[in-house]
Amino acid sequence: MKGRVAGVLLVLTTASRAEESEVAQAQRAQIEELRGEVAAQIQLQALDLLDDLVFQWTEQPAFEVDTLVVLADLTVPIGFGSGLQALLENHFVSLVGKNPKSHLQLAHCPQCTAVMVRSSAKGTVVSRGVDQPGALTAAGELSGAHHALFLDFEVEGAALVLRARVTALEPALPIVFAKTLSTSTSTPALLRSPEHLKSRAEAQKEFFDALTGRSVFLVPIHLGVRTFAAASGSPLKALPMVWLEAGLEVALTQARAWTGTISGGVSWAPQLHVGWLAQARIARLLTGTVTSLTTPDLYAFVGGAVIGVYGLSAGVFKDTIPTIQDLADQIRANTNPTFIYGAFHLGLELRVKNRIGVIVFLESAPAMNNAPAIGKFIDLGVIQFHTIGLEASFCF
Amino acid sequence: MRQLLSRRSVGWLALAPWAAACANDPASLWRSRAETRGYECVRMSRERAHELEPGTVPEASARGGTFEQADALLCARQFMLPGERPARDEAILSTLQDSVQEITQAATALHGEDVTWHVDAFYPEPMVAAKISVAARTELAEHRRRVSDRVPVLAVGDVAVLRRLRPQEAYPLACARYFAEHVLAEKDLFLGLMIVDTRETQLHAGLCQAGVWRWLR
Repeated sequence: MKGRVAGVLLVLTTASRAEESEVAQAQRAQIEELRGEVAAQIQLQALDLLDDLVFQWTEQPAFEVDTLVVLADLTVPIGFGSGLQALLENHFVSLVGKNPKSHLQLAHCPQCTAVMVRSSAKGTVVSRGVDQPGALTAAGELSGAHHALFLDFEVEGAALVLRARVTALEPALPIVFAKTLSTSTSTPALLRSPEHLKSRAEAQKEFFDALTGRSVFLVPIHLGVRTFAAASGSPLKALPMVWLEAGLEVALTQARAWTGTISGGVSWAPQLHVGWLAQARIARLLTGTVTSLTTPDLYAFVGGAVIGVYGLSAGVFKDTIPTIQDLADQIRANTNPTFIYGAFHLGLELRVKNRIGVIVFLESAPAMNNAPAIGKFIDLGVIQFHTIGLEASFCF
Repeated sequence: MRQLLSRRSVGWLALAPWAAACANDPASLWRSRAETRGYECVRMSRERAHELEPGTVPEASARGGTFEQADALLCARQFMLPGERPARDEAILSTLQDSVQEITQAATALHGEDVTWHVDAFYPEPMVAAKISVAARTELAEHRRRVSDRVPVLAVGDVAVLRRLRPQEAYPLACARYFAEHVLAEKDLFLGLMIVDTRETQLHAGLCQAGVWRWLR
């Protein structure tokens, strides 16, 4: 009996430990995920601060002439490792290289950051090379540089702070330049091109302009097809009509949340018809309040159109099915039927960065309600949709 | 039953816009208290918030009038989650800029510009100590003070004696030794930043000039 109880307890303990282990693993995974998110934010903010620093040097250089400087130390926030340090060092070196107006020239000095031991009559001193410029000079290790640059990043609450200082490599080690730059909750990170550094305000404006679109006006060109529903039992069927449309789209709000379009179009099929249309649409962005730079935007739209068709195709839209006699009369008189109708439509447009898009819509033409050759795709009682349209759009 | 379910569904649907609006709220029901405490927020006008975060804060309508006169609250999550760094280090580091500004303002108010400042920090964790001293040096140099990166050091024998003393005695004695050993000259000023008790989370500071130590705070 005791053995059984001990066995049950052992099983329970083992199960409990396994469960705890799973929970701990899940927690660790969650922490790692969060750490990754935070690291990504820190990386962006740190790159942003370095951009700011070098941009300020291009506007107000720390040195009047090109000066050799040793990047003596770049420290990352406590808790972050050498990966971030290497990334920031690379970015900084790249920035300085691409911005000669900063008047900084980086010198190679591995001994500057290495630990040095120097013995003299006063005693033995163990320190980094940059802390003993006299020893470095004596050893000829300074590569011609007489200044050391120190960059220190630290996380202070929700802000990342960069402290930069340049020290003259002489016995007194005077600091000849110092700057503190800080992010804050109200300044999101900006990604700037290292070749053309801009001020924070300029970069912000550029981002905003990119977000709101290229201009208030766009010229959309649509290539599409309208397919008509076939009525059951009718011997005639309306053929799909291909349309080429062009127009003008205007952003009704600054971020293109609402847009309006007017356009005209033509359709032609050999021996069958020539068509024209004039239409207007108003569209509302469904995916957010502003157009996205990275993901497609989905718009819903409603609109109206006036469409005219001249040719044999127009016959199928009329209230009566043309007989053989009607067709023979038309050929003899060398005339073709004409059908002009009003329609309204509603649909969706999936658009990528206001450049290309796909449109699908349903169209209702009340004038076709009694046409025996035209059916209905959707019949809502009050409204019947006779046409489905599919378009590809290109905006210029 | 079907009607009841339907009513419930309608009820939930009615809450949907509210729930969607709360998705970005740092104090919403969807976030734990710990998560909410991890945010730092700044209140600003909606126009300014739209300039800074155009993708998140929609533009105020020109015809919005009375109904759209709301401020925006821009929040950012603290980089370090609670418990990721030792609590004392986190408390010191998260307020480092403010602490250092207060200390350097108090210190520079007492002395003219014809002195050379030396700065060092005394903190159990060397990496944090380095951050504190770098912050103070940078702050002083930014305010056009003559600052040296050289850290005054004492001989090993002095350090061995000083380590056995209480902070209230050790710092004045170290100051006297700096002067006696000619590590610091008449025109040199030493600013020390430290914690006196290992349990505290506030920085103290003292000034050493001509062998005389003076506590700043």
